[in-house]
Amino acid sequence: MYQYDSIDKTIVNERVAQFRDQVQRHLAGELSAADLQPLRLRNGLYMQIHAHMLRVSIPYGMLNSAQMRTLAHIARKYDKGYGHFTTRQNIQYNWPELADVPDILADLAEVEMHAIQTSGNCIRNISSDQYAGVAPDEIIDPRPYCEIIRQWSTLHPEFYWLPRKFKIAVTGATNDRAAVQFHDIGLEVIKNAEQEIGFRVYVGGGLGRTPVIGKVIKEFLPREDILSYCEAILRVYNLHGRRDNKYKARIKILVNALGIDEFRTQVEEEWAHFKDQELKLHEVDFDTMQAFFPLPDYEVLDDGDARLEKWRSLDTRFNAWYEHNTSAHKHAGYRIVNVSLKEHGVAPGDATDKQMDAMADIADQYAFGEIRTTHEQNLVLADVRQQDLLDVWKALDAVGLATPNIGSVNDMICCPGLDFCSLANASSISIAKQINEKFTDFQELYDIGEVKLKMSGCMNACGHHHVGHIGILGVDKKGEEWYQFTIGGDASNHAELGTRLGPAIAKDKVGDAVVDILTVYRQQRQDDERLLDTFRRVGVEPFKDQVYAEQA
Amino acid sequence: MTANRNLKARPKATPDRIQNNIQSEKAIVDRAIVDSAIQHVAETDALSVADLPSSAVSVPLNLWLDERDAVIARGQPVAVQIAADESPEDLADQLDSIDMVVLPFVSHVDGRSYSHAYKLRTRFGFKGEIRAVGDVKFDQLGFLTRVGCNAFELPDGENLETALRAFDEFSEVYQPSADQGRLIFSRRRAVH
Ligand code: HEM
Ligand code: SF4
Repeated sequence: MYQYDSIDKTIVNERVAQFRDQVQRHLAGELSAADLQPLRLRNGLYMQIHAHMLRVSIPYGMLNSAQMRTLAHIARKYDKGYGHFTTRQNIQYNWPELADVPDILADLAEVEMHAIQTSGNCIRNISSDQYAGVAPDEIIDPRPYCEIIRQWSTLHPEFYWLPRKFKIAVTGATNDRAAVQFHDIGLEVIKNAEQEIGFRVYVGGGLGRTPVIGKVIKEFLPREDILSYCEAILRVYNLHGRRDNKYKARIKILVNALGIDEFRTQVEEEWAHFKDQELKLHEVDFDTMQAFFPLPDYEVLDDGDARLEKWRSLDTRFNAWYEHNTSAHKHAGYRIVNVSLKEHGVAPGDATDKQMDAMADIADQYAFGEIRTTHEQNLVLADVRQQDLLDVWKALDAVGLATPNIGSVNDMICCPGLDFCSLANASSISIAKQINEKFTDFQELYDIGEVKLKMSGCMNACGHHHVGHIGILGVDKKGEEWYQFTIGGDASNHAELGTRLGPAIAKDKVGDAVVDILTVYRQQRQDDERLLDTFRRVGVEPFKDQVYAEQA
Repeated sequence: MTANRNLKARPKATPDRIQNNIQSEKAIVDRAIVDSAIQHVAETDALSVADLPSSAVSVPLNLWLDERDAVIARGQPVAVQIAADESPEDLADQLDSIDMVVLPFVSHVDGRSYSHAYKLRTRFGFKGEIRAVGDVKFDQLGFLTRVGCNAFELPDGENLETALRAFDEFSEVYQPSADQGRLIFSRRRAVH
């Protein structure tokens, strides 16, 4: 993992002191609430329905066990004993007191963490592939590039007051697990014909009110130019992005208004001024950074383990977990463990302080002390020996972290909705429970297979509903909560926005509608088709007929 | 629970340019509190050099572009404003005749002027004073300094003594800007 040097430490500590001073000036009446607002936002602190909410940055989803213990400690000491892992790989606390926040930030700084630029109209946390470094389909490890971009974008003086927030994601694998085509800048690390490393650069993707798939602005950007090219994009956006209407202020609107070709021309013109100057990176910069992400001390092992195989045949619960919550690893004898934060009856993405502490212990004992967060609101232990899987499963199961539902309907993404969010039209957590209750039979879940269900409480789309295989959006009809369905969205390489199913559905019928959709799928699927594949073949009509026949 | 309708009113857009003249008794220039006598004149349709008061003023960019000689003939130091929606490119070949560029902030959350200052210093080599005025307070001074501003007028009621603290909040930075030219990685390269 990246480790701070004295420069990183100084910056983070001075940032804590700066925010402490801002809060003190505010409490002393020298800094108005209105003026404090954008400052606290840039330290991850929102005002919500009940209280403040603090969002802590987890750069590209990487955590060590000491950091996880600190997250647990914060949940315990300053919150109500839990935290919420988000779709951008960060963690949020729903109940901190304003006066405590400088102390929380100081505790975070001790373990090289911060909340810098986790909200506000600035460059946000860089997100990436949760399987970085271990996925069999990986071409290049994206993490060194994420860290380089993180440092360049942190407290960048010119891009701190953008028209709107700005999100960058990086992937280095053939299967995009970071949804790069739905980011303001999406970077795909690739090699060209000469085997040189560079990036395919997408710009202007995003969800929210106007969902847009990112467009390719550059097919191959040599890796040494990554910072200067991002700087050129940001400068054009800072100067020309709309500021008159916050719903039209994202870079996607600018790119659509100018057209990608004109936007590219403007960026290239700007870039030409400084492309070969200070921001150009050197080979040694990549080597230095890559050295922070070495291969762990893998043992030489074979795939397959006698004890593992025996217990898989003896214990169906363990076998279900093995099949659904673990995935293939680059290195023989190891597996990737997905830790589900979607236990039945719990808000998706929530974890208690005890669960976080347990994760830290398990990671120390079995996974080189490292944990990752995923944009699907789960956790990952990237490097577990196959021979340890049974013990890891027992330890996870003991704290409710072994629900074998990864990739299933119950592994849904869901925003906080009406329960916590002041912008919500409708609740999403109670709907998640309603859907869970329809699918209590795990055999049925497994028969249905991969379904990415994503739900947002309003059109801001924090739950990414546009790219759910099934997407659910909370809408407000005369003060009542209703739900708009889409089918066929896809956040992966084959990026696609969902197709609208029909009129919104009443709150108590949402679970039934999900059942209907999956019934049609099971009747119509061929061979190994997933819901998404069947939908692509048969279209929306059969689903519509079934759902609205029952509603009629 | 019912939907939170009342929280959804659309925020009003702020204008790009100042609507009223701005003048302050004090300014911070090169980190020192000094007296200030300059008036920043807001643009109006019929504004001409003949209408300007005889005391020190900064003029809107359009007035400068229309009546450049008349502005110079006033015999005062030449100060020209660049509004958030205007471009320093328009002044690039005239910077030798200009003593001060003024960046008026209608709202401090509008970050365009940061790019203006940055370009003036690093691309066009402007050596004169760059003064940020309007909605500019303590918490903006640090980054405005980094992008090239060296003078500030804060709104009435702001404590300038306190604001001086803003210049020393950060002793390290990651990226080059107008204040220093090094990228963090090039500094680390030198160490290795
Ligand atoms: C609880 C308070 C929250 C509020 C008030 C809030 C508000 C918003 C708003 C207004 C937007 C739209 C921004 C735009 O399009 O420019 C947005 C987008 C987004 N939010 Fe939230 N959000 C909240 C919580 C969350 C949580 C908990 C998550 C993660 C689980 C999240 C993830 C996102 C993401 C990923 C987007 C980006 C969608 C895009 O690409 O445009 N938000 N949020
Ligand atoms: S999607 Fe809407 S309801 Fe859900 S968290 Fe975002 S703003 Fe709130």
